[in-house]
Amino acid sequence: MTAPARTPDDGLFEKLLQALRPEGLGPGHGFELYERRGAGLELTEDDDGHRITESRERGFAIRLFRGGRVAFAASGTTGSTGLQEQARLMLPRARSRRGARAPVLIAGETAEARPATEPSLPDESAASELLTTFRRTITAAGEGAVSVREASVSVGTRGERLATSGGRDAAWSTHGAALVATVVGRSSQGRYSARVVATAARAEELPVARLARHAADRVLLPLTGRPALAGRADLLLDSHVAAHLIGRLAPLFFGDQDEALLDARTRQGRDPLTSPVVSVIDDAGAQGGPIRTARDAEGTPRRRSLLIEAGRATGRLTDVAAAARLERPLTGNAVRLSWSDPPRIGVTNFYVDPSPGVSPLDLLAGVSKGIYAAVLLERPEIDLAADRFRLAVAGYTIEKGRAAERISECGISGRLSELLRGIAALGDDLKFVAGAGGGVGSPTLFVPRWKLS
Amino acid sequence: MLRRGETGEAMRERRRVSSWSASETGLHHPARIEECGTAVRIRREGQSLLIARSGIGQESLRDAVREAARRAGGSPFFKAVRRGSEPARARGSAGSEGDDEPASASLAAALARAVPDPRGLSLSLQIARVEMERAVITPRGFHLCGGNARLEVHGVIGRAEGTRAFSFQSSAPFVESSASFADALAQAIRPAARLSPAEGEVDVVFSPSAAAIFWHETVGHPLEAAAGEGSSVLSRVPGATIGPAGLEVIDDPTRHDLPGSFAHDDEGVVARPVPLIRDGRVSGLLSDRRTAGAQSNGHGRTPDYRRPPRARMSNLVVPPGTAPLHALIEKCGDGIFVTQISAGAADPESGRFVLFVEGADAIRRGKRSSSLTPFALSGEILSTLRHVDSERGDESLPALGLSICVKGGDALPVGGSAPAHLVRRLVARVSRR
Repeated sequence: MTAPARTPDDGLFEKLLQALRPEGLGPGHGFELYERRGAGLELTEDDDGHRITESRERGFAIRLFRGGRVAFAASGTTGSTGLQEQARLMLPRARSRRGARAPVLIAGETAEARPATEPSLPDESAASELLTTFRRTITAAGEGAVSVREASVSVGTRGERLATSGGRDAAWSTHGAALVATVVGRSSQGRYSARVVATAARAEELPVARLARHAADRVLLPLTGRPALAGRADLLLDSHVAAHLIGRLAPLFFGDQDEALLDARTRQGRDPLTSPVVSVIDDAGAQGGPIRTARDAEGTPRRRSLLIEAGRATGRLTDVAAAARLERPLTGNAVRLSWSDPPRIGVTNFYVDPSPGVSPLDLLAGVSKGIYAAVLLERPEIDLAADRFRLAVAGYTIEKGRAAERISECGISGRLSELLRGIAALGDDLKFVAGAGGGVGSPTLFVPRWKLS
Repeated sequence: MLRRGETGEAMRERRRVSSWSASETGLHHPARIEECGTAVRIRREGQSLLIARSGIGQESLRDAVREAARRAGGSPFFKAVRRGSEPARARGSAGSEGDDEPASASLAAALARAVPDPRGLSLSLQIARVEMERAVITPRGFHLCGGNARLEVHGVIGRAEGTRAFSFQSSAPFVESSASFADALAQAIRPAARLSPAEGEVDVVFSPSAAAIFWHETVGHPLEAAAGEGSSVLSRVPGATIGPAGLEVIDDPTRHDLPGSFAHDDEGVVARPVPLIRDGRVSGLLSDRRTAGAQSNGHGRTPDYRRPPRARMSNLVVPPGTAPLHALIEKCGDGIFVTQISAGAADPESGRFVLFVEGADAIRRGKRSSSLTPFALSGEILSTLRHVDSERGDESLPALGLSICVKGGDALPVGGSAPAHLVRRLVARVSRR
């Protein structure tokens, strides 16, 4: 971080907070006041040159609560003094829902009452070095057949503060970084391009080399391989492919939002959701996860949540309202996409626990005839209600424990429950990708005898 | 006052959103958001700089200009430009402060009309009334980009047999938009016995709404100028015949009845229609100042003031032909009539594209028959365009399902209007049950 914090606190949060006290709001109301200050820098390079984008922002949001009703209003600094009135006018028109209430202090938590940190501007030279490293690595990984049409590194930091009528008053900071690139592969078969993304909690943690190798596979396999033949084969799903698949299960655990669906998939908990080798966790402190934050969007301290234990759905992700409705623990999974979006339930780092896994090479050695799905060619089609899925992948055939021919395209489809319950083994190579509004992760998954289309 | 060789502009944006979440039981969680921002952009020989700040007051502009000057080392021109009038009130707006109550009541009524009996149904929708006002200051003057007000709805409809995506957008006046939304939702939640389509090559008739998305993916995206030469299968063949004689595809930001309209683009260039396909030949490319400099044809668009503009589509319009819909279906013989596409994607470099179909009926012996389960249609752009039938529908209608287009992570409102089309030899594939 280079540029120093600039603006001294102007006391605006305190002024808004004062106006929200019960004497200003009226009896029976609860409130939540939120402030976010953000600073971001994006460096983009393409064939025509480079772009620098630098932004600073500050926004406020208010939620008013009364008798299960909630109203939300958000604005930048200029309109912030009118937020309370806007929310107050909307409140009578909101529908009441059980559990909606202002966050309160939890055991061991104290009110901090300190201003949000003014974020510093991220370091431009570090972003530039990352781009150089990515270009160098992809040239090597693609053996000269892959070029970068456009690549950008964005780095951001933000300071947040939240105070509620329940006594919570907390301030915290978070960081994030992303590398996004459009790469083009060329061969005698033609050209193929793809956009690849890596995210991390800090710029220095971006998996640049891994992204470069993945990008090279993503654009070269469709050009240099042959379509897979239909029939039954063992499947090895690379962690990138598996993470996107597993990430699509996340909404099943969003409070009581899809409770009926989860019940239907598991026959009210009598059936497992996945194979017993699979346990799924959500953890804002997960090693290698792209999300790292001390508190959620309602100021609740983050915690680790076990959602699937040995194949059985056990946990739920909750915010304050869902925890009250379900009478379950508060997991700290409220998220705000930006300061101007109302909080909702979401994931932090949602991943398959790799601890029972073995080396991916050991998994490979155990496959006599199969497919290694290395990259996704399209977004996965997954319908949780209809219990069906389709993945379009590229990869390699496996013969006698070794990668053999390249596969340009292969369709893997069928019943989602069969695939999840058919997972026979895991790798120990947990990797995260951006997904489900946060980070989703998985190690390599082994599914024996799957019918390919 | 920019230094020699530099171009640039400042942009102000005000976005007001009234939103609700909706379930099968009604509207929940009203929210009102107002966001304002200022950006200063400077370009010089392939390098560009964007400084963004919250707020649209003098202080935000001064701060952005000061920072831009520090980084660019120049004397910015913005001080010399007299502040213009406030951006125009968004067209079709239902008003602003304090008028959420009638909007809320109107939407609640629309929802109740669309879902008279919620049994067996689960809805998870986000409904937003978005009003956007933008203005661009260039060395030549102050340009209002034009107000834009629209109703956006997206989410998921769930039934025991499966879930389906739902999206709707309209820039018509609010009451009219609400009524159209109710009709679209009522249509989408209607249960139907559904069969899986056969996999493999298939002839397809696209309804006007679905055809607009087909053109968006197969012609619009490949003809958005990007860095580097010949970055798409269509931009590599300017002037080549790629479709049937008489085929016209135009990107028209001046169609104010469609959601992608504007008066000036986000770089202050006056909006104008650009023919992309004329008489079946590739005839144009959508450009911005970065890709075409002063020759920009006014398609530099940005999702918000924090992001740099890029050459993007606005409203893709295909004029009508003369064939009634039933004649196209009859001509198809055996195939599929596609009524709703939930999403699409194209790789302009290789020409591959895929359309995710949510609503379709089988065509047997020239007549519509049973409804089909969701499936995907894929193809290669150049070969697909060769298989577009020369006859097209006699009505060009706005695409209600075409709402937000995401490219490179930047989401923009876009529109489209097209007649029904018959396209042969696409490839259907199904997620098997």
